[in-house]
Amino acid sequence: MKKSLLGLVTLLLLASVSAYAQTVTGKVTSATDGAPIPGVSVIIKGTSVGTSTDTEGKFTLTAPSAANDVLVISFIGFATQEISVQDRTNIDVVLKEDATELNEVVVTALGIERDRKSLGYSVTEVKGEQFTQAREINVANSLVGKVAGVNVSSINGGPGSSTSVLIRGVSSLTQTNQPLYVINGVPMSNESNKLKDQWVNEPDKGDGISNLNPDDIESMTVLKGGAAAALYGSRAKAGVILITTKSGKGEGTVEWNSNFVMENIIDLTDWQQTYGQGANGIKPVSQAAALDAGGNSWGGLLDGTDVVNFDGVARPYVAHKDNMKEFYRTGSTFTNTVSFSKGFAGGGIRMSASDLHNKSVVPYSGLKRNAFNLAINLEPVKRLKVDARANFVLDDVTNRPMLSDGAGNANFQAMFIPTSLDINTMKPGTKADGTEMPFSSNTYATNPWFAARNFINDTKRERFIGSLTARYTFDNGFFVQGRVGRDSYTDRITGVVPSGTAYKPGGSISETTVKFYEMNADFLVGKPFKVGTDLIISPSIGGNLRKQQEERMVQNGDNFAIPFVYNVTNPRNKSLDYKNYNQEVQSFYGMVDFSYKNFLFLTATARNDWFSTLAVPGQNISKSNLDILYPSVNGSFAFSEIWDLGPSVTFGKLRAGFSKVGGATDPYQTVLNYGIDPRLINGNPIGTVINDAIPNSALVPSEATEVEVGTELGFLGNRLRLDLAWYNKKSTNEIIRAPASGTSGYNYVMLNIGELRNKGVEALITAIPVQKTDFRWTTTLNGSFNQNEVLKLAAGQNSLGVNTARSGNGFTQHVVGYAAHQIMAFDYKRDADGNIEYQDNGVPAQGDLKTYGSAIAKWTTGWNNEFSYKQFNFGFLIDGKFGGKVFSGTNFYAYQFGLHKETLPLRAGVTGSNDKLTSGQAYYSGLASNVSELFVYDASFVKLRQVTLGYTLPGALLGNVVKSATLSFVGRNLFFISKKTDNIDPEANYSTFAPGLEQGGVPPTRTYGFNLNVKF
Amino acid sequence: MLNNMKHKYLSYIALAVAGAFVTTGCTDDFAKINTDPVAYGAGNYEPAYLLTTAQLNYTGSPDNAYETWRSNLIYASTMMQQLAAVTSYWAGDKYLLNTGYAGAYWERAYTEQLKFAIELIQLTKDKEEHKNLYQAGRLMRAMILGRITDMYGDMPYFDAGLGYYTQKYFLAYDTQDKVYGDLLKEIEEATVALDDSAGKIEGDLFYGGEIGQWRKFGYTLLLRTAMRLTKVEPETAKAYVAKAVGKTFESNADNAVVVHDPSGSWTTQNRNSVVLLKGPENVQVKLSKTYVDFMKSNNDPRLAVIAVTNPTYAEDGTALGGNANPASQKGLPNGFDIDGQNPLPDAIGGYSSLSPSLLSLAGPTFVLTYAESELLLADAAQRWSVGGNAEEHYNAGTKAGITYFEKYPGVGDLDAAADDYVAAHPYDAANGLKQINTQFWAATLLNGYEAWINWRRSGFPELTPVNYPGNATNGTIPRRFPYPLTEANNNPVNYKVAHDAVRGGDLLTGRVWWDTEN
Repeated sequence: MKKSLLGLVTLLLLASVSAYAQTVTGKVTSATDGAPIPGVSVIIKGTSVGTSTDTEGKFTLTAPSAANDVLVISFIGFATQEISVQDRTNIDVVLKEDATELNEVVVTALGIERDRKSLGYSVTEVKGEQFTQAREINVANSLVGKVAGVNVSSINGGPGSSTSVLIRGVSSLTQTNQPLYVINGVPMSNESNKLKDQWVNEPDKGDGISNLNPDDIESMTVLKGGAAAALYGSRAKAGVILITTKSGKGEGTVEWNSNFVMENIIDLTDWQQTYGQGANGIKPVSQAAALDAGGNSWGGLLDGTDVVNFDGVARPYVAHKDNMKEFYRTGSTFTNTVSFSKGFAGGGIRMSASDLHNKSVVPYSGLKRNAFNLAINLEPVKRLKVDARANFVLDDVTNRPMLSDGAGNANFQAMFIPTSLDINTMKPGTKADGTEMPFSSNTYATNPWFAARNFINDTKRERFIGSLTARYTFDNGFFVQGRVGRDSYTDRITGVVPSGTAYKPGGSISETTVKFYEMNADFLVGKPFKVGTDLIISPSIGGNLRKQQEERMVQNGDNFAIPFVYNVTNPRNKSLDYKNYNQEVQSFYGMVDFSYKNFLFLTATARNDWFSTLAVPGQNISKSNLDILYPSVNGSFAFSEIWDLGPSVTFGKLRAGFSKVGGATDPYQTVLNYGIDPRLINGNPIGTVINDAIPNSALVPSEATEVEVGTELGFLGNRLRLDLAWYNKKSTNEIIRAPASGTSGYNYVMLNIGELRNKGVEALITAIPVQKTDFRWTTTLNGSFNQNEVLKLAAGQNSLGVNTARSGNGFTQHVVGYAAHQIMAFDYKRDADGNIEYQDNGVPAQGDLKTYGSAIAKWTTGWNNEFSYKQFNFGFLIDGKFGGKVFSGTNFYAYQFGLHKETLPLRAGVTGSNDKLTSGQAYYSGLASNVSELFVYDASFVKLRQVTLGYTLPGALLGNVVKSATLSFVGRNLFFISKKTDNIDPEANYSTFAPGLEQGGVPPTRTYGFNLNVKF
Repeated sequence: MLNNMKHKYLSYIALAVAGAFVTTGCTDDFAKINTDPVAYGAGNYEPAYLLTTAQLNYTGSPDNAYETWRSNLIYASTMMQQLAAVTSYWAGDKYLLNTGYAGAYWERAYTEQLKFAIELIQLTKDKEEHKNLYQAGRLMRAMILGRITDMYGDMPYFDAGLGYYTQKYFLAYDTQDKVYGDLLKEIEEATVALDDSAGKIEGDLFYGGEIGQWRKFGYTLLLRTAMRLTKVEPETAKAYVAKAVGKTFESNADNAVVVHDPSGSWTTQNRNSVVLLKGPENVQVKLSKTYVDFMKSNNDPRLAVIAVTNPTYAEDGTALGGNANPASQKGLPNGFDIDGQNPLPDAIGGYSSLSPSLLSLAGPTFVLTYAESELLLADAAQRWSVGGNAEEHYNAGTKAGITYFEKYPGVGDLDAAADDYVAAHPYDAANGLKQINTQFWAATLLNGYEAWINWRRSGFPELTPVNYPGNATNGTIPRRFPYPLTEANNNPVNYKVAHDAVRGGDLLTGRVWWDTEN
């Protein structure tokens, strides 16, 4: 498609070629692998004369005044070069790859490739190698710190858990804030389970983006604002990320990439090592007392005497400082990808196969992934281009670690083991009869080894994403394009609470099968045509049909008839559940591009979406109530093309855009639905109401209108470049599953009530401070500031609950006048003079519930550096986030259990005005319950995110077979340069959907290892 | 040339536009696509199944017995010294405030009980074929709302549960006097409107749909509701009691009871058993010393049925047996813990647990009993000489309060033993109210809600409060649940009005309207 566009431009431009010109031929090859590059733009500087290279990388062009002409050779992903013709007739060019090229062709909405210069909005492209060298299991994590205005954070749920990608802040109050991922023009599902409940204790089961193999990704293009994403209409509100997978090109290449990394936990806990297990300052005196003390570290001074433990064995009462390190193991991930790629006349083919084998730091947990990718593009008949893509993924995760609450959660239990206990004495977690060996009489305090080894939380996914695109371009430039794509997966999720679990001796099992598909069929027709000599108008129209279905079959049961045998036929009590969600969206869209003299550009788009989810069963609603229109307009003024700004300014452009985009509704929300419980009571069916939120037949899709302006500037031959953006995005008609008063019969109601605003700036500075023959330093600094404000909720409603911490005294809420996702906690109660007030029992009393700041960072920044010296390259990435808050359940429980260092002072005895106080334990556990403000932390941090050191083997060493080989040392998440949280990772979080709460997750890990890339 | 191209181009566009409109013409299917294939609409549903749900969930939440655990067991039953626990989070045993637990009843009753009664009413209203089912729905609604107001006081009442229909999501609170005025009216009207000729009530777990029994249930509920006003509006109470007299339950066969089904997990199992069979409750929750001592000192035949020491459990957690010898029984004093501020001096193992019969997952939950009915009539007769002979009602109620235990699995005939007990404990009018309401307390084991409400109403039994260090009530037995924090969060404006209006403060020590201090 890109080639055809360029070809068209070339054809048009060649018409004006002068007769006195000289013909120049040449070949463009890649510096990376020496392969010819087809489709490279070769333009004579300052003119509109140009061409593009053929499949063998060759070009022919006529230079009007050969002596003075300068060729500008540019191609997506490569550094642009300028070469003086100087009367030469043959010029061969070697292009170097460059991840941050400014003057380039970029993929935009609907897969349309356009000259970056012409875009009236901010777009950032991230190249594939950014995902492959120092890699993450979830490829979205590799975006952290790399794109201005994109706030990436991962769930601390172990391998394959979800990643949150927030583009330009929180644009929706209760709907997803995750971007739409579009792979090769086809939307892909990125569903993740939305852990969001006070009582949740289950694993994060991953998201959709995590299934992709980074080695197959050519690039990711982040469409940040509405103007960029407007053609995605009702799916564009949170931004769009376009993923282009690799396709076959160049001469035949076999590439093998092998990556081996190890990971270790970073134990951030700094618990007190003074007092051991026990209660009220007393060491356990019997096995029963040890069990009753359980997780409590309110015992006596660690004096080294023998004290009886949970198992009746007496052991020295001393501090065990390395319980976390003893529990977690060294994890590893070994990834191998082999790919075959070859370009040929009119197309190319690429195949790849990948194997990933991960051993988690959590014992008995790990992930396996196999990915197969096929890309074929060809021109079977002249003018017809066909592109076929297939991506097949097998994703198999064993024992996903649990998050949040303690029952069955190894992370929670391992973290809070009293310091006087040696975690290894709890091994293997079972008694001789196979039942749980408890360390506490609180049955919900599961033995961590039992939780890790005996509980089952497995997920298996088979996923296929495929697309077929055909495009026919007539001689007059008119094109017709059709595309059909399908993303489908089958999930199998198995959860077992084993027989003999203290809190559920009979055990239970749940087997869930999810079948999902989304089909998209779209067409696009258009034609660029010239008006006069200076104006090119390119109108096009298209349509999209989207069908989506999710079927969910759950079989579960409890109380195994034959203990320790875990299959769904074994439980005595069985039940099932079945859900089937269907929806369809029909869309019709059009756009028109105006390009004036290659410096002034204007694009207007409109998309109309019709939603099945707005239809009311049993009612004939006129079509006009089922649809919504999404318009946008944007323009770009490349002023450096017409104004001479002096020698130091290489490039300059101003841009502006306006857009309206939306967020759709879910199926079956317009009427009340009744159901039948799968169980019977003594033969009687049990009725249910399926909606847990009051349905609303008047619901309409939410909207966001956005204005953005920006500039892109290049100085000193583009060795210093600047991209600035300012935006103001207002979300209205927010669909809210609003907490209703339960007295209405329902805890939630579907409403179109909210408004919120994001205002912000983004800056990207790219500089090449040093560029010599052997040494080059590229440095990129990106930063963004986003100011979010909840403008409106329902009439009379000042706040909207989002999530509740397990402790019950920390909340996240949307509060009018504040940024979304406010951390709410109880302050001290104070008298008129500001003195802390106490309860009758001497514990500080609970004050008001207050806002303490948003869970979402205001500032995000990343500083990336690449150094290359001869065969070596070295890079590091430092990133930081500032201004976000977190409510730490970990520190709450550290107070409750007496592990927090701040619980030390009053243990020895209570004095002064607190004479009513009975014990330090009562004081601190009461304090923790009453004054939850203690557990609100500033989540700001600066982290050394990534270090890479690579060595490309000299060609002389490789012989004929191997084209190139690069060995790299890679490290990820190496250490915190600064953080402000006690005992926890400031990035810890258990919900992509309701951020700001942490508890019971996998500790942060540091990853380091090697990457070997060999091309044959 | 250009013109020609334009022309051709425009015709392509026209073609595509036409194509697009053909596509969008298919929205006719959208109502069908947006119909949940795994659900029913008002048009094709069987409303009787909603009666089943309302009745079942009135015995407690299908979600791990959520409010049964917190409100009935952790709070009410221990405050009433029927049960006792050394478990640290059993806040009611020690008069500690856990706002989440205290709010649990409200949170679940509206969304898991009332919701289904309301939907039942909506689907059967003005439908001749559902005439009796509709009245059953009204009675369920009144009973459900009545227990909420008895726990909390002022409450959203008139619009409660109707969010879908009224589009009111943040409800104002109605004062309890207005609530009671309407409850009495509703119960009376619905009971009177039951029609013997209109056929049985489908989906009925209480009576298999028998209209005669429903009518007796209606009048007994009217009696109970009226008697709540004993202290605050005795004249109203008397007037309604008079309407119910002679039409109430006549034997234990009339008891409104849900017999549970172990096969459906938490959804259908006995709520109290779900909680008490699990650890640590199975070890740390016992019969209260007050209750066991009352049984022992009165040679009560119930003790042999309800209590065991040294209980044994099967591998899957079900209770198997233990020492049921009444002489061996020892009740656990309230207000102790194991390792906290008031440690139990001896081992927990020696105290009496509930017997395997009472812990059966298939066991019954008593919603409204003949024993309660007779004892309330005795109270009314003693207090106001309304409704017959206090002694006769007392004798009948006391006996039924023993024999109703026969409904529990594995419990034998208690008829003769009950007669002996009644004979040995003759009615003494001078002590009548104390006797009557102490028997009421003895006959509401595992129904802590009702025991607590009746204690607040009557002042009996005479309980000695515990004084756990740091308790939230200054050593007095709580009289009310504070409103839940979810209301403070989700319905703040209306909540504040009600919160500020509670007599004695929105605390465990506050009082509902009918619970006057005289």
